[in-house]
Amino acid sequence: MSEEILKALTQLFAIITKQDGGVTEKERQFVIGFFQQELDQDSIKEYLELYDKFVGYKKKIEGESEEKSTEEGEEKPVQKRKLTSVRDSVKTLGLCKKINKTLTQKQKLVVLVKILELVGSDKNFTPQRMEIIDTISSVFNIVKDEYKLVEGFVLQEDVSNLQFSDILLVNNEPVNDEPVNDEEENPNKEEETDDAGFPIKKEKAKHFHVEIHGDLIFMKVNSVDMYFVKYLGHDEIILNGFIMLTNRVYLFSNGSTIKTPIGHALYYSDLITQFISDLKISQISFNAQNIEFKFPNGGIGLRDVNISEGPGKLIGIMGASGAGKTTLLNVLAGIEEPSKGEILINGYNTTTQKDKIQGVIGYISQDDLLIEELTVYENLYYNAKLCFANMGEEELDKRVMDVLTSLGLDQRKHLKVGSILDKTISGGQRKRLNIALELIREPAVLFVDEPTSGLSSRDSENVIDLLKELSLKGKLIFVVIHQPSSDIYKMFDKMYIMDTGGYPIFYGNPIQAVTYFKEVTNQVDAKRGQCESCANVNPEQVFNIIEAKVVDEYGQLTNKRKINPTQWNDFYLEKFQFEKVEDVNEDPPQALNIPSKIKQTFIFTVRDTIAKLSNKQYLMINLLEAPLLALILAFIIRYKSSPTGMEYIFRFNDNIPAFMLMSIVVSLFMGLTVSAEEIIRDRKILKRESFLNLSWNSYLLSKLTILFTMSAIQTMTFVLIGNLILEIHGMTISFWLVLFTVSCLANVIGLNISSAFNSAVTVYVIIPLLLIPQMILSGLLFNFDKLNDVISTKGKVPFVADMMASRWAYEAMAVYQFKENDFEQPYYRYEENEMKSDFKSSYLIKALKKKLDFINNNISVESDSLQTIVKKDLDIVKYRLNLESNKKGIEDIDLDIALSLDGFNSQVHLLLVTYLETLKDQYLNAYNLSVLKREKLMNYYEKSDDIDYNVNEYKDKYFNESLSDLVRNIAVKERLLEYKGQLIQQIDPIFNTPDNPGHLLDYRTHFFAPKKHFLGMYFDTYYFNIIVIWIMTILFYITLYFELLRKVIDSFGKVKIPKAKG
Amino acid sequence: MEILNLEGAEDTPKIMLDKANGIFELSGRSLPEDSAEFYQPILDWIEAYESDPNPSTEFTFKLEYFNTASSKLILDVLSALEDIDGMSIVWYFHEDDEDMEEAGEEFSELVELPFEFKTY
Repeated sequence: MSEEILKALTQLFAIITKQDGGVTEKERQFVIGFFQQELDQDSIKEYLELYDKFVGYKKKIEGESEEKSTEEGEEKPVQKRKLTSVRDSVKTLGLCKKINKTLTQKQKLVVLVKILELVGSDKNFTPQRMEIIDTISSVFNIVKDEYKLVEGFVLQEDVSNLQFSDILLVNNEPVNDEPVNDEEENPNKEEETDDAGFPIKKEKAKHFHVEIHGDLIFMKVNSVDMYFVKYLGHDEIILNGFIMLTNRVYLFSNGSTIKTPIGHALYYSDLITQFISDLKISQISFNAQNIEFKFPNGGIGLRDVNISEGPGKLIGIMGASGAGKTTLLNVLAGIEEPSKGEILINGYNTTTQKDKIQGVIGYISQDDLLIEELTVYENLYYNAKLCFANMGEEELDKRVMDVLTSLGLDQRKHLKVGSILDKTISGGQRKRLNIALELIREPAVLFVDEPTSGLSSRDSENVIDLLKELSLKGKLIFVVIHQPSSDIYKMFDKMYIMDTGGYPIFYGNPIQAVTYFKEVTNQVDAKRGQCESCANVNPEQVFNIIEAKVVDEYGQLTNKRKINPTQWNDFYLEKFQFEKVEDVNEDPPQALNIPSKIKQTFIFTVRDTIAKLSNKQYLMINLLEAPLLALILAFIIRYKSSPTGMEYIFRFNDNIPAFMLMSIVVSLFMGLTVSAEEIIRDRKILKRESFLNLSWNSYLLSKLTILFTMSAIQTMTFVLIGNLILEIHGMTISFWLVLFTVSCLANVIGLNISSAFNSAVTVYVIIPLLLIPQMILSGLLFNFDKLNDVISTKGKVPFVADMMASRWAYEAMAVYQFKENDFEQPYYRYEENEMKSDFKSSYLIKALKKKLDFINNNISVESDSLQTIVKKDLDIVKYRLNLESNKKGIEDIDLDIALSLDGFNSQVHLLLVTYLETLKDQYLNAYNLSVLKREKLMNYYEKSDDIDYNVNEYKDKYFNESLSDLVRNIAVKERLLEYKGQLIQQIDPIFNTPDNPGHLLDYRTHFFAPKKHFLGMYFDTYYFNIIVIWIMTILFYITLYFELLRKVIDSFGKVKIPKAKG
Repeated sequence: MEILNLEGAEDTPKIMLDKANGIFELSGRSLPEDSAEFYQPILDWIEAYESDPNPSTEFTFKLEYFNTASSKLILDVLSALEDIDGMSIVWYFHEDDEDMEEAGEEFSELVELPFEFKTY
């Protein structure tokens, strides 16, 4: 409370108490008490002096007549009423206005209660005083009815006069009407419901029975949702560890506990439900029968578990570590399938009829399931959005805010959650927010795994209190709890205690657990479950008994237990009868309405985008990585080798082919790294969201949307900067398309490994394994013709390389750059003709002639090996001649007969040699013609006035010699190669249109082919290759969708480690 | 606009609100049973006046006494007057009545209106 407000309050107190007879000693004591609460010792004196000054305390002792408040006495009306001075009235207004500006409505209510208490402390309720207070309440904007309620609550000492529906009386009077409270079987209350004969006139106030002397009165103030309590009586009632003074008003805050002298505990949640009358208890039955669970390695995790519960229960699961608590919870929640027995919710099997109970089960694991980059509010908001498709924005916002407020997180809603190491909200708040994620959709059956671990005792109690409150609203809640405090322990309706090896050893009332174990072991004070004086229960005691060790003759504890798990289990089977809850026949209440898949994708995308945008580091690295790499790479390889001068000329940069490969590698690398961690990071969140039956496809699509966008930006910046520095003109979009495609493929591959492996480290180790083969088989570093014989095929790209995106991408880029650059593009088709004719006239025909000569010389030699060669050569010649369209001179011969071992003779030889001569001439002519045409076109361009054209300038700008050498393969020694009965053209692959598809689906060609054949059609290499990469992307998406990689890896795991877990 | 004219009594002030003649006055003693109810017509009248006020308005308070509940409503009246352009307040007090003078000063601090203090 600020000094200013405290001063204002002091004055208010003074103004009120100086009315009508002035302040009494009791009232002054009250004020002192108030100061003691708010201030340190030194300041009390200061404020008390201030108060005394305002109230005129000293003067009062001397004589009352001096008092200012009565100065208006002369103008007394007939009734001799003393009047409040007008100055005090206006002053009061001023003070209230000041308070209005700083205090919240809740605080103002507390101030009002204090003022009323002050007046009530000496029961001096004169009309003047009450009028002032009434005015204060109206300036505070407290509604009339509520003021009446508060006034009655604070001042009234006769409980029968308190007839408000927002008042709850707690006393030992028997319950008069319907046994509202008997529903809950809280063990801490021994309700006497049988003696209900005494009629009490309590028409409006609520009533709750507890064995105490006097009355505890609770008040709810609806407008601010606050609870106050006061006690009238002489028992020692303890509120949150402090003794309650009689007739003193206390704030009954969230999670408060009241203890009575005889050891009853009244919990906040118990009492709050008394005020919430319009509760609909959902019909839920939960039956787990004869459950057994085997671990994959064969070890038994649970033995013969029977649990049967109805709605509105808070069930604790306890046990030594390793007893199988979490296993039990997972089995009950349907995450793990029991090996025997079945679990039915309203008669529906949790493992086989999941669709029927969709959204009924909620699961809060120990893991932290928050999205670190989002704020508290956003975490909850997007979660809610995925649960409630039919809710409007406003309703959604309200629901989120309600949950946040009820968990005390509303003040923190704009804080970023942050990682566990980089905390912005506390551990308790994290835990509560995790719980909120499930709470918001209010599942009918909730499973919670150790909600209190790592929390302070205060936070732990808040959390359990919250769960208790939920159970009171009709939810069935199972909680695995570890080392609960006495207060927490007592909040449970039932305890399920397990012993090592999955043996159930207790199922029932928590307090009785203590007595049960004491009785079984014949302990002295077996009947006493809790401490008589402080009502505390020590749950540790239970485990001390269960795990008690045998002592050897030297008094040393041995490792042997007095009673082993099986024996405990025998006792259990003997003592406990299992009562099955009748299966409810209606469908369980479903609080879930999942949005359509498209909408889910949208929500996922927005959520992820916001998370990514708020992670500045991630964003910076990812956005700067590409331009930076481009800058470094391009700068280093900007090589000046111009033969004429010092300036940089694109045409003579030898590094362009390598640059293309590097840009592909960079795209792959960026694509992989950006996606590799995506799914791993979300795995825990996905586990929880699996209870919502959200679409995996939508999730993946949202990931792809974001990753593809990121890749598009990265590759675009890379190409822009790289091409700018290296002066690669006119290739921006076409290069980008290839790199983007490659990057997208890498994204999907990255998601695949991200979904398959468990840790980010593994994933990053895998990346080189994926990248290096891409580099090896890209076609640039190692010539496809010079690979290991096992994989290499001459004249065709090897199969293994076909599986590499890098090879397709590289070919696409190189072919496109060579064919479509502004210089080459107009001349390409002439050059193609030129080169084809040239190849035939100068290499092919020569080779064929040589073969014919060889055949002619050797056909009659009777040697098997020679005959084989001759046969092969005949086939080669036949094949080649068949491809020629011009058959002039040989039209009369049947090549099939003439070019066979039997049909070949010197006459045929002569004929064919002559034919080849004419063919050669024909190709020479064609060559010359093409050259002529090309030069003509060149001349035309140079002379044309429309375009500013200079052959050399254009060539310098757009054409790269090094790349040209590469795609024309001019360095090759043997321009024509004979391989496996075929003559293969080695030179000029870029001008060599593949002409021999083996079958319709044959897509294979030599590297740098200008066109590709498939399904009897020809496609441009650039587009064909891009489509191939996209098809790969789709295939990988399918494996991702079915998580094939993960399944394969899991199946390896199963084979390898049969005896891992114990 | 209608004139609001209420004769004063033992517990209620005299009220004269006359737009045409430029008379706006609250005088006498104010300690009505239900002050909110008593002041409501005045607040209503001011609200109506606000939509079409005179270029300048001089509102006179000439009170002998008012109780706490009335003080709240007088503040409401003053707050309502705050929204009207050309409004000024004339606060009369008896020359011996220090309390009334100080009350006027307190009011002047709570609202943003020009106050003129006069004795009678």
